[in-house]
Amino acid sequence: MPNRVKLTVSHAPFWHDGDSVCKMNLTIILAAMPAVIFGIVQFGIPALGVILLAVSCSMFFELMMNFATKRSLSIGDFDAALIGLLFGMMLPATTPWWVVVTGVFVAIVIGKQIYGGLGANPFNPVLIGVAILMVSWPGYFDFDGALLNYEFSHEALAPLAALKHQGVAAVDFFSTTQLLMGQQTGAIGSTFGLGLIIGGIFLILRGCIKWEITIAYIAGIIITALIFNLSDSGTYAGPMFHLFAGYTLFGAIFLATENSSSPVNTIPMLIYGFLGGLMVILIRNLGVYPDGTVFAILIINLINPLIDYIRPKALGRGVNNA
Amino acid sequence: MIKRPFIGLFQPKLKYDLLEADPKEPEVVPVPSNILLLLNDSLDSSKITFIKKGDQVKKGEKLFLYKESTEHVISSVSGVIKRVESYAGEFGNIKTSIVIGNENNDDFVNDFKEHADKFELDAAAKFLKLLPGAPPLEILADPAHKIHTLVISGVDEDISSTVRQYFLTTESADLKEGIQILKKLTQIPKIILTVPEGISVDTEISGMQVFNISPVYPDALPKMIMKNQLSTIVPQGKTCEDMGVCFISSEAVVSIAKAYRDKSIHFEKIVCVTGKDGVRKRMKVLIGTPVISILKQLNIHTNENDRIVIGGPFNGFSTFTVYHPVGPCMDSIIVQDSGSIPYVSDSACINCGKCIKICPANIPVNLLVRQLAANLFEDAEEKFDLEACIECGLCSYVCTAKIPIFQYIRLGKHELLKIKAEVETEGANA
Repeated sequence: MPNRVKLTVSHAPFWHDGDSVCKMNLTIILAAMPAVIFGIVQFGIPALGVILLAVSCSMFFELMMNFATKRSLSIGDFDAALIGLLFGMMLPATTPWWVVVTGVFVAIVIGKQIYGGLGANPFNPVLIGVAILMVSWPGYFDFDGALLNYEFSHEALAPLAALKHQGVAAVDFFSTTQLLMGQQTGAIGSTFGLGLIIGGIFLILRGCIKWEITIAYIAGIIITALIFNLSDSGTYAGPMFHLFAGYTLFGAIFLATENSSSPVNTIPMLIYGFLGGLMVILIRNLGVYPDGTVFAILIINLINPLIDYIRPKALGRGVNNA
Repeated sequence: MIKRPFIGLFQPKLKYDLLEADPKEPEVVPVPSNILLLLNDSLDSSKITFIKKGDQVKKGEKLFLYKESTEHVISSVSGVIKRVESYAGEFGNIKTSIVIGNENNDDFVNDFKEHADKFELDAAAKFLKLLPGAPPLEILADPAHKIHTLVISGVDEDISSTVRQYFLTTESADLKEGIQILKKLTQIPKIILTVPEGISVDTEISGMQVFNISPVYPDALPKMIMKNQLSTIVPQGKTCEDMGVCFISSEAVVSIAKAYRDKSIHFEKIVCVTGKDGVRKRMKVLIGTPVISILKQLNIHTNENDRIVIGGPFNGFSTFTVYHPVGPCMDSIIVQDSGSIPYVSDSACINCGKCIKICPANIPVNLLVRQLAANLFEDAEEKFDLEACIECGLCSYVCTAKIPIFQYIRLGKHELLKIKAEVETEGANA
C-alpha cells in the first residue's frame, strides 16, 4: 500500500486529565511557600541556609541512589525536593549543617529509596529523617536552646516545651492569634499557622492532598484535647493551643497526607486521620516528648495497610445470580 | 481533550457530547476505488481458502474464508478481490483483511429479499447481523441467553460520538418501525429506550419505557444503566446478556427497519469524525471504506506519530494503519496530533487515591494495579475484584503517575481467560 504513515499505536484511554507527579509535587511546594517565606523572614539567613541545604542534599542523594540502583533519574518529579523542603521546615533555623545532611540522607535513602522509591515507602520519609535525629541528637530539637541568640518581640518560649515543663500556666503566654500569626518559637516552617492553613486550603481545593485525612486529624486533635481539658483543665491545655502550637498544623496538612503511607478509601482515611490526632495529644499529654506529631504519624503509617482493607464492596461482588 | 479542573477537589465531570439543536444531514464520502473488509477469522496456510485473489464478488455477497467457517463478511461493493491478508488485531487476535477493487456495477445479491416478509428471528440473525450498528440478533436468537429486556440505546456509550443520538432524533419514524419489528421478531415483553437528558424525542410506543440517562460519562455504559436504571447489578464476570438484558443501538434498530422496508440490506454507516482541531463532523460512509478516504474528504492530514483512534477516547483502540476500514459498529474516529498525545509512564503507583474516588465499580485500583504489574492475575481476580471492572477507563484518565491502568486491567482479564482455558483443558485431559 502506498503512503505508509507510521501511526502511534497505544491503548485506551486516549485522553488524560493532564495531572502528573511533577505538577502535584510542585503544587505542594507552592502551598508550603507562605510558611517557608515567613520562617525565613523571622529567622533570617540561617533558616534560608537550612532549607536550601536540605532541598539540595535531598535531590543529590536521590540522584546518587538513582545511579546506585541503576534506575531512571527521578529528581525531575520533585518528590525529593519536596521531602527536602518539608524536612528543612521541621528543623530550627540554627541546626548545624551536618545534622541537616544526616537527616536528609536518612529520609531519602532509608526512608524512601531502599523501599523502591516513589510510592513504595511505608513511612513518611520526612518523618523517618526527623525521628532519627530526634532520637539521636535530641538537643537540636530543643527550640528554646537552638534559638537562644534570637531576640523576638514575642515570648521567646517554644509553646509545647513550655507546656511540658511549666504546666498549663504557660499557655497564658500565648494567645491563639499570636500562635496563628507565627508569634512563637519553633521550627522554620511550622510556626506560621495562618500560612499553613492557607496552603492547606489551597491543596485541598486543588485536590493534591486527601482532605479527609487533614480534617479528621484536626478533629482528632480538637476532640481529644477537649476531653483531656474538660477532665482536668489544671493539667491539660485546651484544644486551640494544641491545634496551633508546634508541628500540629504542619503535620495535618503536609505530613499525615503523604500519599504512599496513607490510606485511600474514605472510612480508613477518616480513621487514620483521627487516630493521628488522638496519638499526638496522647503523646503530648501523657508521653515524654513535648510534641508528639512525628511519632504519632509514624504510628498511623504503621496501621495504614491494615485499615485500608476497610473498603466498599466492588460492583457485582457477592451478588447472587438472579 | 477535557483536562482536570483547577479546583481538583471535585471529580472531573466528563460530559457526553449532546447532539446539536438542528442536526445537519451527514456529509457523504464517495465510494473509494478499493474497500477493505475485516473478517474475524485467521488465515491457515495449510488450507485452501474459499475466496482468493482475482475472484469476482457481488455487492451483498457473503464472503467466507473457508468452507466450514462460521464467520463471514458481506461485500459492500461489487468488484474483484485484490488481496486476502492477515491483519493483526488487539491482544494477538489475528483477523483477515479482504481488499476488493470497486467496479461500480450494479450486481447485487439480495438473499434477504425472500425473508423480508416473514419476520423470523433466525433469518434476521443470519442476514442482518452486519447491518450498520451491528444489531446483536445472534444473541437475541440464541435460546441460551433468555433475553427478557431489550434496551434501545439512544445514548452514545463514549464521549465524542453523537451517532446514536442522531438516529434517535432525526429518524424517529424509522426507529419506531424498527422497534415494532424487533417486538415482532423477538417477542420480548420489556422494551426500554434510553434517551440523553436534555434531548426530547417523540418516540412513544405503548408498553415501552423511556429512561433518561444523565449526560455524564460513564453513565451510558451498559453496566451503569443496569445498575442505575434497571437496579440490577451484574455479578462479577457476567455480562448484561447473562442477566437477560440485551442492548441494541438506535442505529441498528433504524437499519433493521430500513432492511425490512426496502427488502434489502444497506451498507451506509454514519461515523462521527473528530479532527486534530477538535471539530466534530458526522459522515455517511460505506462499510469497508478505509479511514484515509474519510480523512481526505475532511482535509485532515496525518503525519508520522499521529494517532487515529477508532471508537471513543475511553473505549476505543488505536489503529496502526490509515487503511483501517469502517466497520458496522464503529461510531467514531478521532485523529490526535502527535504533539497532543498524553504520554504514559512506567512509574510506580504513588497511592494518591484518585482512581479509587472515580471508579464507578468500587475497585481497589491502587492495589489491583500492583498485582497486575506483578503478573498475579489470579490474586487480582480473587482479592482485588479484577472482574468487577466495567471498562470505563477513568482510572487511567485520572492517574497522576500516568500508569496505563486500564491496559493492565484488560491484559489481566485476557490472561485470566487464558489461564482458565488452560486449567479446563488440563482437567479434560486428566
